[in-house]
Amino acid sequence: MKRQYFSTFQLILLALFAGLIVIAKIALRLPLQLPGHTGIFWMAILIVAARVVPRPGAASLVGLSSGLLSAFLGTGDFGPLDTVLSYTMAGVGTDLALLLLGNPENLMTATIAGMAGHLAKFLVKWAIGVVSGAPIGFVALGLARTLVSYLVFGALGGLLGGLTLAALRKAGFFAYLEEKR
Amino acid sequence: MNRSSRIIIALTAILAIAGGILIIDWVQRRQVAQVVGTSTPLPAGSVPIVFNGKVIAGFTPNDLDKLQQVSFVEAEQGKTQQGWLLRDILLLYLKPEQLQDNTQIIVSSSSQEKSAKLSWAEVKEASNMVMFDLSNRGTLKLVSLLPQLKTRNYWVQDADRIEISTP
Repeated sequence: MKRQYFSTFQLILLALFAGLIVIAKIALRLPLQLPGHTGIFWMAILIVAARVVPRPGAASLVGLSSGLLSAFLGTGDFGPLDTVLSYTMAGVGTDLALLLLGNPENLMTATIAGMAGHLAKFLVKWAIGVVSGAPIGFVALGLARTLVSYLVFGALGGLLGGLTLAALRKAGFFAYLEEKR
Repeated sequence: MNRSSRIIIALTAILAIAGGILIIDWVQRRQVAQVVGTSTPLPAGSVPIVFNGKVIAGFTPNDLDKLQQVSFVEAEQGKTQQGWLLRDILLLYLKPEQLQDNTQIIVSSSSQEKSAKLSWAEVKEASNMVMFDLSNRGTLKLVSLLPQLKTRNYWVQDADRIEISTP
């Protein structure tokens, strides 16, 4: 019988991570008026998901699932297409970065992967705006400020994800997973 | 390839993409010289204000410095919306006597194909919080506490025109 790319157990874990992202997006609010600040939570979750299910495409699948969930819940200011594509691309960006960099348990790797994933999300939002003929940003510095904010919060989210992975290893979570396998 | 080389490649790619976005945005800004029904070119990114069919001004970022920021927490998702009251923006270009309670104000977005029709009576009431917030991509979105603008479905994202007509 052909072996599945993701086991049922892994798919359940990924679905849980997708749900966590949506909950984080809705429930965890920092009193910051800075664009992309929620990336600190959900890039962390994506990084953890990519290590807990160590297969290329895990982060992308979490991104797609959370994007679909969020679109159904009506989050995001620019409609469901923007939501699904941007969430998915955050996962794809993270996966691509991890393909190049390797294990996200390394804090530098996790930080850069977080940055890459969040940049991919921003890229999609910006590209949709360009394609749909949205007016050029009202504030000239708005785009640069938003971009820097996305990169910083993506990096912080990645770092937080890396630290979470270190804590999970210390707690014996990965040994438990190995045992289960 | 060792780890350091990979990290350098990844960081270079991130910087190249970020730089590419900023360069394209800069080129677009230079190319756009908006002319909206008048021979007066409006600055790129400015929002034309049309009064009784005639463009009287373009609302520019410099105008924001003259205005006080306000904020409210929207009921739908509990997010804070922060920006500038439409009332204050209009009063930068129009005298109060030019606006009557039943003066119609339409804020529209050509890219989103959305618009909101409001009366001056609704707009001038500060507690209605009819205001522009800056979206993540640096464009203006019209938000409010008014029932017809209460949820994001009804907000006017990427607003690029304000039309005022007096009866």
